[in-house]
Amino acid sequence: MTAKALIIAGYGINSEEETALGFERAGFDASIRHINDLAENPNELKDIQALSVPGGFSYGDDTGSGNAFAQKMRLTLGDALKDFVARDTLTIGICNGCQIVVNLGLAPACDGEYGARQVAVTHNASARYQCRWVDLGVENSNSPWLQGLSSLHVPVAHGEGRFMMDDSTLKMLQDNNQIALKYLKDGKPANGEFPFNPNGSTDDIAGITDESGRVLVLMPHPERGMFTWQRDDYANLKDAARRNGQVLPEEADGLALFQNAAEYFGVNQMKKAG
Amino acid sequence: MVQRIEVFTLSEDGRAKTLEDQFRKTGKNIDQIRIVDVYTIEEGIKDGQSLKDCLKSFTNPVTQKAFVLEKGQAPANDYIETAGDFDWALEIGFLPGVTDNIGHTASELTALTLGRDKTLYSSQVVLIKGALNESDVKELAATIHNPLIQSASNKNKEQFVTDGGMNAIIPRVVLDNKGAAIDPVDLNVSDEELITIGKEGIANEDGSRRGPLGMSLLYMQAVQEYFKSEGRPATDVELETLAQTWSEHCKHTIFASPIDEIKDGLYKHYIKRATSEIREARGSEDFCISVFSDNSGGIIFDDNWMITDKVETHNSPSALDPFGGAITGIVGVNRDCLGFGQGAKPALNRYGFCLADPRKDLEYYRGKNKMNPTLSPNTIMKGVVAGVESGGNQSGIPTPQGFMYFDDRYVGKPLVFAGTVGVIPREINGKPSHIKSSQNGDRILMIGGKVGRDGIHGATFSSVALDEGSPATAVQIGDPITQKKFMDAIVKEVRDLGLYSAITDNGAGGLSSSVCEMAEGCGGFKLAIDKVPLKYPGMQPWEIWISESQERMTMAVPPENVAQIQSILEKRGVESWDIGEFNDSGRAVLTWHDETAMNITMEFLHDGIPETPLTTTFTRGGETEPDLTEPEDYAQTLIDMMGRLNICSKEFVAAQYDHNVQGSAVLGPVQGKGRVFTEATVSRPVLESKHAAVLSQGLAPRYSDIDTRDMAMAALDSSVRAAIAAGGDIDHLALLDNICWCSSDEPERLGQLKRAMEAIYEMAVHYRTPFISGKDSMFNDFRGYDADNNPVTISVPPTLLVSGIGVMEDTAHAVSIDPKAAGDFVYILGETKDELGASEYYDHRGVLGNNVPVTDTALNYTLYQALSKANKQQLCASAIPVSFGGLGVALAKKAIAGQCGLDIHIESDLRLDKLLFSESQGRIIVTVAPNDKEAFETIMGDYPHVTNIGTVTDNNSIIINEVQADIDKLDHAYKATLGDY
Repeated sequence: MTAKALIIAGYGINSEEETALGFERAGFDASIRHINDLAENPNELKDIQALSVPGGFSYGDDTGSGNAFAQKMRLTLGDALKDFVARDTLTIGICNGCQIVVNLGLAPACDGEYGARQVAVTHNASARYQCRWVDLGVENSNSPWLQGLSSLHVPVAHGEGRFMMDDSTLKMLQDNNQIALKYLKDGKPANGEFPFNPNGSTDDIAGITDESGRVLVLMPHPERGMFTWQRDDYANLKDAARRNGQVLPEEADGLALFQNAAEYFGVNQMKKAG
Repeated sequence: MVQRIEVFTLSEDGRAKTLEDQFRKTGKNIDQIRIVDVYTIEEGIKDGQSLKDCLKSFTNPVTQKAFVLEKGQAPANDYIETAGDFDWALEIGFLPGVTDNIGHTASELTALTLGRDKTLYSSQVVLIKGALNESDVKELAATIHNPLIQSASNKNKEQFVTDGGMNAIIPRVVLDNKGAAIDPVDLNVSDEELITIGKEGIANEDGSRRGPLGMSLLYMQAVQEYFKSEGRPATDVELETLAQTWSEHCKHTIFASPIDEIKDGLYKHYIKRATSEIREARGSEDFCISVFSDNSGGIIFDDNWMITDKVETHNSPSALDPFGGAITGIVGVNRDCLGFGQGAKPALNRYGFCLADPRKDLEYYRGKNKMNPTLSPNTIMKGVVAGVESGGNQSGIPTPQGFMYFDDRYVGKPLVFAGTVGVIPREINGKPSHIKSSQNGDRILMIGGKVGRDGIHGATFSSVALDEGSPATAVQIGDPITQKKFMDAIVKEVRDLGLYSAITDNGAGGLSSSVCEMAEGCGGFKLAIDKVPLKYPGMQPWEIWISESQERMTMAVPPENVAQIQSILEKRGVESWDIGEFNDSGRAVLTWHDETAMNITMEFLHDGIPETPLTTTFTRGGETEPDLTEPEDYAQTLIDMMGRLNICSKEFVAAQYDHNVQGSAVLGPVQGKGRVFTEATVSRPVLESKHAAVLSQGLAPRYSDIDTRDMAMAALDSSVRAAIAAGGDIDHLALLDNICWCSSDEPERLGQLKRAMEAIYEMAVHYRTPFISGKDSMFNDFRGYDADNNPVTISVPPTLLVSGIGVMEDTAHAVSIDPKAAGDFVYILGETKDELGASEYYDHRGVLGNNVPVTDTALNYTLYQALSKANKQQLCASAIPVSFGGLGVALAKKAIAGQCGLDIHIESDLRLDKLLFSESQGRIIVTVAPNDKEAFETIMGDYPHVTNIGTVTDNNSIIINEVQADIDKLDHAYKATLGDY
């Protein structure tokens, strides 16, 4: 047996297959579930260890990205979601999933206020969709998703990725170590500089967690940077490895998040135990 | 009671800031812009709690504040205060019947929240602070809305305050049809009247005409004859159906007609024959699976998977509404993928835009006396770029591969290419996945969106030149999310259950096209037009039948499976309707509330079209070769060349198009540390397979000014060359042809066409690269008036786009364009000749010339074979095809991409400017690590033109013979031209 991961799909979510692949690679038993099927049986969540709301364009980003799908989840899943995050589970919202989970109020949920919208993820400062690779610094975070990681090279692809909040919320996030990921330029803070910070996000924020760190939301896409051949510098890495007579490692930064999740649940031990 | 939900953004708003900058560029006095999102409900929500629940899905409380305004009631106290300091309010909404995706989502959310249906309409209010008068505001409004599809209204602050905001507008469709019916059309009329019907459409009762059928007298006479033999008048539905089925757009009549001595027509004689000869020659190594017979072409990807490709054009709609035209183009070609075989999964999008210079104010009008102006090149460029962005990104399909080409002759008819590559298992349920056919007794299932007046006469309209009478109903806007829902449901669930016999898409011609085509399988159909669901009441039966409302598929389903399919679709939020049956009656039958609307033979419908023999002439173009003065400052000339529109970076487009979704990107559209825009990309569309797909494209429209034969050969060679340079294998490479011609009723234009087709036949056969799919668009001409009221006709240069799709057996074979290490050797493969006719350099110097590049097919084939072998051994550290701008530009691009220097010495008899900027075909520049030098030179074998021309350096400049140019300056020039867009 192993831990179970559920990946939500439907209504324009589009990264469910890559996300499921990440969980599977890490050893999870991963299933993709259409939101309407989950709505018919929200109790399924009781049997799940890791939940992902993947990237995509749910409802075409109409009425504000993530807003519409969050409303759908709120109305159809009810308390099942809050019950899920209250258990010792892991949740990851990626890109559109980040926007949805934030709109559901499952992150940052400062002061344990799950369900309250405390931050907004809104239109890029450039008002333009940006698809490019970025460097992320892993901040001092208690998140199981990020243990042992210091930086990540992964892509972003979004039109609305700018974290915005009032100053008191920002201070709370900083004080509680809930800012998990920040955009970097050459290993140092991007300080809002485009394109290193691709969206003008407050304090270079790329991802945040709830207070427990078990709910992680991030705009960049770890599931699109799991293999070396997916990297924007693949041709250079490949060439350097060939010259030096080395074998290019297959795995890239993004996979580590899924492996961390597997580690958290002791997936390997579970598998050994059968 | 009409309600307006107005959502104010209180935080900094990137959209507003960008619009502010855009407005300031007009030179007007703009202090500040704010954007208010508006949702209008015809029947307002009365219950306070319900309203509050609904508002949650329209508002983000962290950054936004919502107001609910009701007609006749004063707004909340803080409404005006929140609207803040502004001088003008400008509201942009949709016209009745235009696809309103945001309104659609808002309606769906409201229904979900309330448990009952409500219709919401979306609009935006722009609050402008600035010293402006009303005409200024109207000018600004004109830059952000298209009057063909949108409404604009404005109020000054005083009026706004007095009225308590903007007026509520409900864009509900109200059709004035007196009652929908089948109308008989008497064809026992004079030839003059037949011509009028063909040109202007069927007459309404009041004498007005319904819009062009696009039928020639010859066609009208054939129809007249048919109904004489049937002994009855035709119905309007029958006439519209025949016009659509026989249109150039659907039947490709110019390519099918006998032309000069070629009795089987250009398509069969050149394109199709090339492929069948190649397949035969390849024998057991044939990699084609399905060519020309389906919505896309399909080739082998690996042992388990097939890869499909199709490239469409959407030119005429994009001239009228660039955003709508382009989004409909990309979302439409996605359906050509979904409609391949049992249904392929869209895996990669392609795009291509041929446009006029966006920096120029080119003024033209469709009507006399400055009536009906064409859109500015800048508006068209922004619109088409945004359309593909919206359609591609929302559909979750990566869009890595594309190009932009500029020539001012695209001013009235921009060319918009959109393509989709798909993947599908070669076998599904033990059966070949590309086989499909409707069966006698199958039900006709329509899936997706409902039908409106969208795109009436789209098929016939795109077959004629754009002029004053072009119907605005040809404009449509795609709805990517509705399509995404059924795409997922079909490809990821229904398909593999084996529940349907056939599937196809509804594109041009709508149901008329899809059902008539599908019925060819079993030999007939009977369909009830009144069972087709409508967006709004009052449409005429003929309109319903030929409507091009987007986001629809048609399936042939055995009756016993209908319920199961419908139930799965319903669970995925997808609507479907059983509207008729396929049969073997030999007849195409339509009913309207049990009354017969059409009853003609399948044979006449598909084969009744009369042949129109064509004749051609040909005259070579070009001027005498010029005797130009030699540039005094070569470095500056190279820098200037880098900034030319057809050479400079198009990264602003690439960065907006998600090329990483699905996790398949290997080599993206911008490569190297210095981010250079490329002509080929590599992807791995099946994550678990190590095989990769290389996509490329080639075109050379300006060469047509001298000889279309050389234009066509350059296009094909460029496409093959780019694919091989990126690591492709000449032995597993297929091509797609998109022919965008002009004035194709003139013998001279047809002569140019024939020459081009003959050329690509010869080349494809020699390269053994089969055509697997194609598309033509034959009348890309603009007829109108210039600013001085002089009549003008502007024809696009005859344009052939050749798209390449190749398979490499290992992702590791991919080669990027940037040099990897100082000390590596630089090789030029290929011969540089005095071939600058119609080149970028000659154009830069203001001349056309005569020596257009002539492609040496046999020699180039040897090169591509050798390089394919080198790719498999990974002997090239980098490679770039030499294209527009020649060697100088290609070397500069390499240096920019690698952010490295190059030390180059080339021996040649040519004067340096000719050497640097000649566009001779068949050339690739590669860099090779010293350790690989010997193996590389050995593997190039018999190919004679392998020249070591220097090394990669750590310097910050590029040296070519005596010329030295700073990488920084080249880089800046390369990126500045379109950097601000």
